[in-house]
Amino acid sequence: MSILAVDIRHLVKDFRIPLRGAKPFRAVDDVSLQIQAGEVYGLIGPNGSGKSTTMKALLGLVAPTSGSCSIFGQDSLKVDSRNDVGFLPENPYFYKHMTGAETLRFYGKLCDIRGKALDERVNELLDLVDLHHARHRRLGGYSKGMLQRIGLAQALVQDPRLLILDEPTAGVDPIGSRQIRDLILQLRDRGKTVFLCSHLLEQVQEVCDHVGIIFQGKMVKEGRLDDLIAVENQTEIIMQDASPELVAEIARLIGQDAAAQLVRSGKPRTTLERLFLEETKGGKA
Amino acid sequence: MGKGRSNRWLQPRRVGVIAMNTFTQLVRMKVFYFLMIFAVIALVAQFLDLPQYSGPEAVYTGELQLLKGWCMGIMKLFALVFAIAATALLLPKDVEDRTLYTILAKPVPRLDYLVGKLLGVLLLIFVSLFLMNLMMTLVLGYRTSILLDQQVEMAMARDWSAQAIESMKADIRAQGVTWSVQGGVFAIFLQASIIGAVSLLLSTFSTSTLFTIIVSFMTYLAGSFQSDAADFYKATASAGTTTFGSLLMKCVALIFPNYQLFNITDAAIQGQTIALSAVGTLTGLSLFYVVLYTLLSWFVFSDKEF
Repeated sequence: MSILAVDIRHLVKDFRIPLRGAKPFRAVDDVSLQIQAGEVYGLIGPNGSGKSTTMKALLGLVAPTSGSCSIFGQDSLKVDSRNDVGFLPENPYFYKHMTGAETLRFYGKLCDIRGKALDERVNELLDLVDLHHARHRRLGGYSKGMLQRIGLAQALVQDPRLLILDEPTAGVDPIGSRQIRDLILQLRDRGKTVFLCSHLLEQVQEVCDHVGIIFQGKMVKEGRLDDLIAVENQTEIIMQDASPELVAEIARLIGQDAAAQLVRSGKPRTTLERLFLEETKGGKA
Repeated sequence: MGKGRSNRWLQPRRVGVIAMNTFTQLVRMKVFYFLMIFAVIALVAQFLDLPQYSGPEAVYTGELQLLKGWCMGIMKLFALVFAIAATALLLPKDVEDRTLYTILAKPVPRLDYLVGKLLGVLLLIFVSLFLMNLMMTLVLGYRTSILLDQQVEMAMARDWSAQAIESMKADIRAQGVTWSVQGGVFAIFLQASIIGAVSLLLSTFSTSTLFTIIVSFMTYLAGSFQSDAADFYKATASAGTTTFGSLLMKCVALIFPNYQLFNITDAAIQGQTIALSAVGTLTGLSLFYVVLYTLLSWFVFSDKEF
């Protein structure tokens, strides 16, 4: 049996409230989740539901009150567990005095990558996140989308097997958001495990294999996305260039079946986002 | 890439990366440029027009002492303000900007992060003091040579004996560029190192930068007057000191370093010779306090949640 990329068991996290006698605030309440290597897992929930605290516990930034977290079998409170993790926090602000390339070099050196290997890695990552043109520009002059992308690049600098992304598209425009989603899908194809949390449900639906829904600190639903969102007693047929006669014929056939019922027929709608991307050519001039 | 290695504490290269990044960060902060410019202007202003308050007999020592006094005073002020302000600002800024998350999410032990930050600040203070010291040394050397020529000329005009002239030249040289002056500047750096380490400790548990800065200044004052306070206590306590009182004084002395020991800077300004052993003792003492405060910072920071 392969080692789980992420293994969180009965995680509880209480935060003390600095008032005498006040009951601690329970941010995460008995959350368990397992992520297999190569999966993209989305943790969704409203603001303040415990998503970020769960991620921080997994990164050792907060210590669990009870329960355990491990990354590829290593206790996440141990520094060594971070050899295999890349993290992008929500709205990251890196050192503004550094350029994009300097930022990646800094994080690379922290991971003990040096010399030619570091140069090659920096170039590779700048190409991956499409920031080669801005490599010598200071981060103070980067847009929000560019900051998120350089953040993603720094998370990938030591080529970790697991990526933890906290609201990776928060505050980013639709074009930037699409670029980040494409990157996540690209990383999934490369075999990376991705654990992301977001409250943008459509985004999670597009990229995740598994989802967990967390509400008021508790995991209320978890499973494969397809299993969770499929409406079991309905069937969808989408046709192209179908004549009105053909549609009428299909409706007639359905009417002949005593059990089946035509719920809705008509033209499928595109999404506002797709329309926006088409009109703006995906942000490319 | 970087897989399977163990991440032992205090890896010099990793600490060096954090220290150099902190150094660069501080150099590129305009507020610190302003401080540097201020220090340079203040120093240069003193070189241009020095008031002569002494009589003609003592002018050759007074002028050079005043020059050293101003220069080293500004260096001390700069080092003190810088050690407190820079150290107190850095940690909260990293937390606020969430930069700390991305660093600690890499295989970086928290001790390495703290030591790197402190070393970055100390490196900048060292470089700044080095540059200011270089400038002071050049001007002091120049002034000394001019003074020597003037005084020798004056002494010869008054028919001083060769022995008296040699004695006067030795007096002037003792007020010029000496190893004792360099020792005095080094003592300023050592004192700033301890103050920086105190600020680092305070910033690990403080929730406000202002609190860190104010309390750091207070510890500096406490350290500057603790030996006077101890003397006062001993003098006023009836029938000697009590065991509790003496223990308390020892605890205070351990927590707050006695900054009066660093007053060898004043001796250097007066032109007195500072023994190498005194500089060695101060270096050892400073190292002890810097290590002590850094370990205490780590003790607090290792369990800190973000």
